Amino acid sequence: MKVPIERIRNFCIIAHVDHGKSTLADRLLEATTTVSAREMREQILDTLELERERGITIKLVPVQMKYRASDGQDYTLNLIDTPGHVDFTYEVSRSLAACEGALLIVDAAQGVEAQTVANAYLAVEQGLEIVPVINKIDLPSARPEQAAKEIEEVVGLDCSEVLLASAKEGTGITQILEAVIRKVPPPSGDRDSSLQALVFDSIYNNYRGVICYIRVANGTIRTGDTVTFMATRKSFQVEEIGVFGPDMRPVDELGPGEVGYLICNIKSVEEARVGDTVTSQRIPAKSPLPGYRKVKPVVFCGFYPIERDEYPQLRDALEKLQMNDAAIFFEPESSTALGFGFRCGFLGLLHMEIARERLNREFGVDLVATAPNVIYQIRTTAGEMIEAHRPSDFPEASQIEEVLEPFIKITSFVPAEYVGKVMQLCQDRRGFFLEMDYITPQRARVVYELPLAEFIIDFHDRLKSVTRGFGSIDYEHSGFRASNLVKVDILIGGDPVDAFCFVCHADRAYHRGQEVVRKLKEIIPRQLFEVSLQAAIGKRVIVRQNVKPLRKDVLAKCYGGDITRKRKLLEKQKEGKKRMKQIGRISLPQEAFLAFLKAGDEEEE
Amino acid sequence: MRKRSKRERSGPPSAISLYVHVPFCRSKCPYCAFYSLSPTIGGISSFLQALEGEIELFKREGDLPRIRTAYIGGGTPSVLSLPDWKRLISILERAFTFLPRAEVTVEANPGSLTGEHLSLWKDWRVTRVSLGVQSLQDEDLLVAGRAHNRRQALDSMAKITGTGLSLSADLLFGLPGQNLRSWGETLREILSQGVDHVSIYQLTLEEGTPWGERPQNDLAEGYPFYRWAQYYLEKKGLLQYEIASFARPGRWCRHNVSYWTGGEFIGLGPSAWGYMNYERTRNIPDLAEYCLMVSRGNKPVCYSERLEGDRLASESAILALRTRWGIRLQDLRRDWGKDWPERMNAALEELPRDLFRSSPGRIALSRRGMRVGNSIWERLLP
Repeated sequence: MKVPIERIRNFCIIAHVDHGKSTLADRLLEATTTVSAREMREQILDTLELERERGITIKLVPVQMKYRASDGQDYTLNLIDTPGHVDFTYEVSRSLAACEGALLIVDAAQGVEAQTVANAYLAVEQGLEIVPVINKIDLPSARPEQAAKEIEEVVGLDCSEVLLASAKEGTGITQILEAVIRKVPPPSGDRDSSLQALVFDSIYNNYRGVICYIRVANGTIRTGDTVTFMATRKSFQVEEIGVFGPDMRPVDELGPGEVGYLICNIKSVEEARVGDTVTSQRIPAKSPLPGYRKVKPVVFCGFYPIERDEYPQLRDALEKLQMNDAAIFFEPESSTALGFGFRCGFLGLLHMEIARERLNREFGVDLVATAPNVIYQIRTTAGEMIEAHRPSDFPEASQIEEVLEPFIKITSFVPAEYVGKVMQLCQDRRGFFLEMDYITPQRARVVYELPLAEFIIDFHDRLKSVTRGFGSIDYEHSGFRASNLVKVDILIGGDPVDAFCFVCHADRAYHRGQEVVRKLKEIIPRQLFEVSLQAAIGKRVIVRQNVKPLRKDVLAKCYGGDITRKRKLLEKQKEGKKRMKQIGRISLPQEAFLAFLKAGDEEEE
Repeated sequence: MRKRSKRERSGPPSAISLYVHVPFCRSKCPYCAFYSLSPTIGGISSFLQALEGEIELFKREGDLPRIRTAYIGGGTPSVLSLPDWKRLISILERAFTFLPRAEVTVEANPGSLTGEHLSLWKDWRVTRVSLGVQSLQDEDLLVAGRAHNRRQALDSMAKITGTGLSLSADLLFGLPGQNLRSWGETLREILSQGVDHVSIYQLTLEEGTPWGERPQNDLAEGYPFYRWAQYYLEKKGLLQYEIASFARPGRWCRHNVSYWTGGEFIGLGPSAWGYMNYERTRNIPDLAEYCLMVSRGNKPVCYSERLEGDRLASESAILALRTRWGIRLQDLRRDWGKDWPERMNAALEELPRDLFRSSPGRIALSRRGMRVGNSIWERLLP
């Protein structure tokens, strides 16, 4: 049963991670009997296995709910769940564009956190009506008045009518639904004008091709229509449209303000870009809807198949993953140590890890990831500007005038007693102090400018650990700055090995070079010849060590009966070495090589 | 076909080698993976009967080749009593023609070897005795679970040389608790006993042995022992002619050399291997099964393989590289094709020169190369 546009509400839930967003969504689905108690399971909107495991939301899942409000009228509520992690700000911004309102969830015990502010600002920027909700009031440590005060003072939202809820216990749910109807404006849109529908997300399905998540702004879309994607100018016949309830339910048409999906036999993500506007081929709209905030990947690393002949599978998997996650960037590259692979760009470290795990789980591709790095800008002595996506893009040291690296402004909310430790951490990571103030006598806001490269290593984990889990951060990019950076080459047997070389601050080059060489020495099996390991900046060797040659490796006796067995042992031994990475004259066991790359992630304590 | 079989080259082999596996031991050593069981009168009798039957099966295929080397191994052939030995000898003599200067080796253990055995062997055609000395330190022998002690070993050695047989001693290194001093002592004493030949081998943990399942603590690292043996034995006039073998000039074991140079051999007895016409076979490693199969007129073979082409060529090269003489490039070219010397060179090119002995027209491992043979041979696999 369709409701008129005045009785549609499109809203999302924004919150700092762990403030109870997904649980609240679950309660809303229950309260509106969208999902029966029988079908209910935790985090029902988090469809990815990975999301459930990690308790986070990565992909948005829009869901339609029917609700009879206290005014006796039936309403259609479209809820768009959003990811909370800072890496996924892009996904948040896309879901916001499909809504008129947002529930801002704040944990009653923890109060306003860094991403509460960041996400609230994003929503304000999109012109959304924000409904503050204080969640987890059932906790013994809940301080709802304090949280409300923080929302007013820090975020700047009126909290005179703030809603109090416990998603866990199901209290305050009806009030939330009523507030959505009362406060969130209905969508506006003209049924009779030509079709404009925003593709705010898309997923790839093996059987049905690309499934676009759309929000209709004007006009209507029906099964059988021929539609055009305005950016790509490609046209398709609509095979199926429908809504999410939360599983896919076909409908005949979607009108203004409605949120649903569109399937039209699209085989390639290139033809249905997220952010594009769908219009009718017969009466096309004059202009597309405003696009999204374009995101640029900030963290790069190489993905290589473990089995070299799996390169095509990795490419296919990346292409499919990109259909699901438009923020992923990749281009082919090759490495002497790793063979053929891809340089991939991500929104952050978590994003990268998730991509890696999804490639493995959903596409069955075993891969090696090289240590992540940021983009560097290099001014050459010739006055040219080069963008380096990887250490090997660096020109020779003598040609470098200066190196610029991306900086971020990080805002951290921390309990007062940990301020010193957080500042120490930021200083250690080459941070510049910007400002600090106390939100309440117990909580401080610390703002630093920090090289992104220092942030992506393990900053978040370190911050969590020095604040015993109470610190939260949000960041924004603040441009490039010149730093005293050097590229350190690692040479094995005199040959530079690209997979091991890295860029770091000149002051740390020696220390890190030593670390890498020491670790390599541990993993390189003895060869028949002495192997030199060096770390060098340009031609200057800063660290040198040698792996002593193998001294004994004989098959003891071998008489008539042993010949076959010995040969088989040798063959097995050789087979084992096939799984080794050949680097120049050296063979490295695959496992050791992976262990090294992994250890690289955690480097620099 | 670029390769010709040896038969095509030189006609039917005039003489080949013979291996007889005597599958009995008084006690089982905790590291040993060879097939053996306790000697019982019934078991030995069945064994000898089946052995005769197995030879009959060979005869059905044509005339038996003449024997240039024979090796009676095990197990412990010296656990057979004198009458059993007499029977074994008559079985072999009835069936085979031995070349006049055939090399015949018998394996023996100090615990079970008697002067009567030695006289009998000497009167037959045995030329050398390979004695499982393992060590001359009682602690080592105890640890290794051997059934003999130092005194018995010395005694056996004296008896063998006294009979005029050529003495070869098997020594074991890398035992738990063994040290270089005691190893050096064993080598020194062995030499004073007049050995012509020494085989040294490192304790290896094999699956299916007690130590393989439950490795001992403080196993000694083998390198210093091996290196010392290489240095000391050569200094005392025993040349290292193979990875694990040292001998006074001309006293190397021709039987073993034939294994490493692709010679054909007949294998008799349970678990024995044979190699004829490029086919390698293994007899079933179970006395009862072995007897049963033979009694039914079936060859008691449980495994066979025939190597061809590059795999055969590479195996030949690897085996030849075990020896002091290495590979003659000329033979490589003749047997496996003219690109083989080139391929060998390419495979070994990157390795340090001091792993090889320089001699024109040959590739052979130096002493240093023998220590790391495994890593070198691996490069020669196809």
